[in-house]
Amino acid sequence: MAANMKAVKLRIKSVQSTMQITKAMQLVAASKLRKAKEKADQSKPYLDILKDTLTNIANGNTDFQSPYTKATDNDKWLYIVIAGDRGLAGGYNSNLFKFVEKATEGRDITVFPIGKKSVEYFKHKKVPLFTEEYAEVAAVTISDCFEIGRLICEAFKKGEFGHVYLCYTNFVSMLSQVPEASSMLPLSDFASDEKETGKARDLILYEPDSETVFNDIVPEYLSGLLYTSINVSVASELAARRTAMEAATDNASEMIDKLSLFYNRARQASITQEITEIVAGAEGGS
Amino acid sequence: MSTFPLQVVSMDGLEYEGNVQRIMLRTVDGDVAILARHMNYCSAIGMGTAVVVMEDNSERTAACIGGMISVMNGECRVLPTTWEWSEDIDVARAEAAHREAQERLNKQNLSKEARNRAEAKLYRSLVRIETAGKNHSS
Repeated sequence: MAANMKAVKLRIKSVQSTMQITKAMQLVAASKLRKAKEKADQSKPYLDILKDTLTNIANGNTDFQSPYTKATDNDKWLYIVIAGDRGLAGGYNSNLFKFVEKATEGRDITVFPIGKKSVEYFKHKKVPLFTEEYAEVAAVTISDCFEIGRLICEAFKKGEFGHVYLCYTNFVSMLSQVPEASSMLPLSDFASDEKETGKARDLILYEPDSETVFNDIVPEYLSGLLYTSINVSVASELAARRTAMEAATDNASEMIDKLSLFYNRARQASITQEITEIVAGAEGGS
Repeated sequence: MSTFPLQVVSMDGLEYEGNVQRIMLRTVDGDVAILARHMNYCSAIGMGTAVVVMEDNSERTAACIGGMISVMNGECRVLPTTWEWSEDIDVARAEAAHREAQERLNKQNLSKEARNRAEAKLYRSLVRIETAGKNHSS
């Protein structure tokens, strides 16, 4: 009985120290989340309006001179996958990878991973990687985004890829983060599928001409899209981690409660046994 | 004067939303001014000072660099890479950037990429200084 009590005590201690760690991680994630969410909220309208505007333009565009707007029959897909640098964030990374897996089924893809987990996963899966230079999502700056935008544009213009997609985790609320894919190139992918037939297209005046405009806008729009998506993903990661760590802390405290009950019971039993023994001994002596 | 809805959204967030009389800014093709009932229009933004004339005739200026401007069905959207209202510009920082860019450009055997970057930095700082200066004189 005594040995059992010791084992239970040790177990309680180890659970307690695990709980301390998960609690600390939860607090760190919560405080970082506040900042990250602010940043994501700030850039969210940019992302929404940018997408909206480009959809408008793609819908109204009758001029497919620019290499960026043309729909191609090139069947190579580039997927930019923004995941986290670290694990212990609940289903954050695995949900995204599952989503990517499903979305890319049967396609000839190359992946541009951002985030250490993303690099590891696609390396393991033996998917060709575009570059591993931006492995750390936390270290990506605005100027990096511009560099990436330029790189992708060049590769796209050369015809290395026919479509470019971006996969990231959208921040729906503190409790819900959903993996999403959005089209980046060509712009014709933006045009909504159910074009209202019969409705006159909105004609747009491009100055100086559509080609120049698109050649100037597209790299910049890609970088903007990337930067805002990274911000949103980072906020999602922290929220996922906070939720996961909160659950872990709750589980640990529940476990400690159960174990202390068990420990007290064992202690009570050993005391009872001791008393019985003493009483029995005294009776035997007299 | 009639007004039209304008949205200015940069990566740092929504900079302006509301009705204005006129917006003037520099595109890659030169300065343009958008008034109410402009036709559908789209262009890339260059580097320069943007002037927004508000509903009450007051003027605000901002450094406006990169991105795009579009007018769709009477609504004007400006999506700049950088948009800084003149009163928010840190002149000391812009001047420091200006000096640094010039120093970098003065160096010999600069790689083409480094030169481009330094030139872009120089232009950005000049636009900021100019925009902030305009605000003081008015």
